Amino acid sequence: MKCALLSNVNVESIARQMEHREVYIAQGYGAWTQELADPTSGTFSFGPSSVFLVIDGTELLRGQQGLAPTLAEVDAHFAWIERAAERSPGIKFFVSTIDVPARALRPLKEEHVERYLEQHWHAGIARASASHANIYIFDLKELVEQVGRSFLYSSKRWYLGGLRFSTAGEKLIGRELERILDAQLVARKKCLLLDLDNTLWGGVIGEDGVKGIQLSETGEGARYRDFQLRIRELGKMGVILGIVSKNNEADVFEVFEGHEHMVLRKGDFAAMKINWSPKAQSIAELAQDLDIGTDSIVFIDDNPVEREAVRTALPEVTVPEFPADTCELAAFFQRVYKDCFFTLESTEEDRKRTAAYLANAKRAAERTAAPSIEDFLAGLGTRIFFTRACDEDLPRAAQLTQKTNQFNLTTRRYTEQELRALQTTPGAEVFIASVADKYGDNGKVFVSIVRQEALDTAELDTFLMSCRVVGRFIEDQILDQLVKQLRTNGLSRLRVQFIPTRKNAPARAFIERLQGGRLVSNGESGAETWEFDIANASPVTKTGYAELVTQSNRAELVQQPAHFSEILS
Amino acid sequence: MGERLIAIVAAALRVPKSTLTLETGPDDLQAWDSLAQINVVSEIEAEFGVSIPIEQVADIRHIRDFLRYLEKTP
Repeated sequence: MKCALLSNVNVESIARQMEHREVYIAQGYGAWTQELADPTSGTFSFGPSSVFLVIDGTELLRGQQGLAPTLAEVDAHFAWIERAAERSPGIKFFVSTIDVPARALRPLKEEHVERYLEQHWHAGIARASASHANIYIFDLKELVEQVGRSFLYSSKRWYLGGLRFSTAGEKLIGRELERILDAQLVARKKCLLLDLDNTLWGGVIGEDGVKGIQLSETGEGARYRDFQLRIRELGKMGVILGIVSKNNEADVFEVFEGHEHMVLRKGDFAAMKINWSPKAQSIAELAQDLDIGTDSIVFIDDNPVEREAVRTALPEVTVPEFPADTCELAAFFQRVYKDCFFTLESTEEDRKRTAAYLANAKRAAERTAAPSIEDFLAGLGTRIFFTRACDEDLPRAAQLTQKTNQFNLTTRRYTEQELRALQTTPGAEVFIASVADKYGDNGKVFVSIVRQEALDTAELDTFLMSCRVVGRFIEDQILDQLVKQLRTNGLSRLRVQFIPTRKNAPARAFIERLQGGRLVSNGESGAETWEFDIANASPVTKTGYAELVTQSNRAELVQQPAHFSEILS
Repeated sequence: MGERLIAIVAAALRVPKSTLTLETGPDDLQAWDSLAQINVVSEIEAEFGVSIPIEQVADIRHIRDFLRYLEKTP
């Protein structure tokens, strides 16, 4: 993953520190605006997927006569940044906030005018970020405030080499930049499981009772309340919350319903295991209930014995050390966020996730009650909205390719930029589908990438679906629709690849129920390619459990051959 | 102290310790350019809790120079 690091000070040393990345830095460190303005500059020729603008406030102010012209110049800078972002929608721009120390010698009657510059700059980023999907805020000023100027800056390095930051400061900034790059590559954790006693509140509910536990607006009990506030924020960012506690359910519910300072409510949790079973067992069951891998779980418990037991039984679960001093809970949780759940943005799907899992629990209950699986599925009123992916769909589509492990035929990971490139690749199509039913909207849960391989043959490069909607033959219905569209476009053969992983057994089950396939290649590590004659038949039979909707622009998909027949004709 | 210095310099230059001796200096390694020299000074200052006056930085080049400086600095 290539990135460019632009600055008005010398940042070469930061780039060197990011050893395992391909980092471009401009020659001559004053040139950052020219680099942005010129589409043929070194930055853009390099082909980065991320561009970082690390701007030094003091340097920005150099040579300026007063505040007004400086503010005007800031506006001009943002015009360049926005223009660059518009020209290169596939590149993410991370623009730093700025720190401008006050003029050192300043009578007490003189105001700290530099604050206006900081604020003006911040307003500029906020506007740019709100109006441009690919402009993000890199909060350098916050970093300065956390660690202090004497830690982050070094006058000696400045005089010796135009290096504004101390080596410790450079390491800190470098780590933040790498975190941002990693967030685009590595799937973040999906689920946070929490112990209760001495974790969400002080004391043991079974012994101390609702009135005896520590949990309050102010005073000592506030450390748990503050912790709960952070946890709720994380839930709103789309992380699934759950409880794993050795307790009596009735005692726990008394706290949830009867304690005035509880921040978290029952509805904030997608699942609860409140029993006396070993916690590793509860966690494994909960992962199954929620249909997520145990390696996407983070477990927080104050008890070192419980932590060790979970680590031993389920080494793939992330179990952070609990702070010895619970005053550190909020700070501890910020680290957990950065290490496990850090994200550039949360999509609409993320924000609705817990509601979606709760709806899933209701579906599961109905399924148990229904006389047969067919009755259950028929009663759900499922509607599938299936379409070619447009620009607004790409962040979610990329996220799905990054995160989906179970129902995923090929487990190919794509970045947003790569998907964007695919959209304009002849013979390649990206499809996306959302699913709704009587219990609610599951959001966009399905992605397929189809490539035309020969005049009459298409291949499924990617065919994946979020585990939220597995088990409802949605994939069958979508493949049936895809086949119809391909047939309309004059294709008669479909190749379906299956690349086995440790986790994609649900995808294997799908392959096994397809009809009329011929195994055409059996590659290394179990990869299979199946070929289907789709001229007269469909590989799927399990259809009719949902209504498949193609909207107006989706209708043209059937009528217009789009790329599929244009390319080779 | 020599060992410790070599370890710090190796980390600052991102080279194996085995490529360094007390006599190694900026002219001996490609990785040890002027920017790397500033990083070496900074890392040694941070590790030993000293501040090498900018007046002396130009004269302290080889690892042995750092050793001499540290030995005579209380």
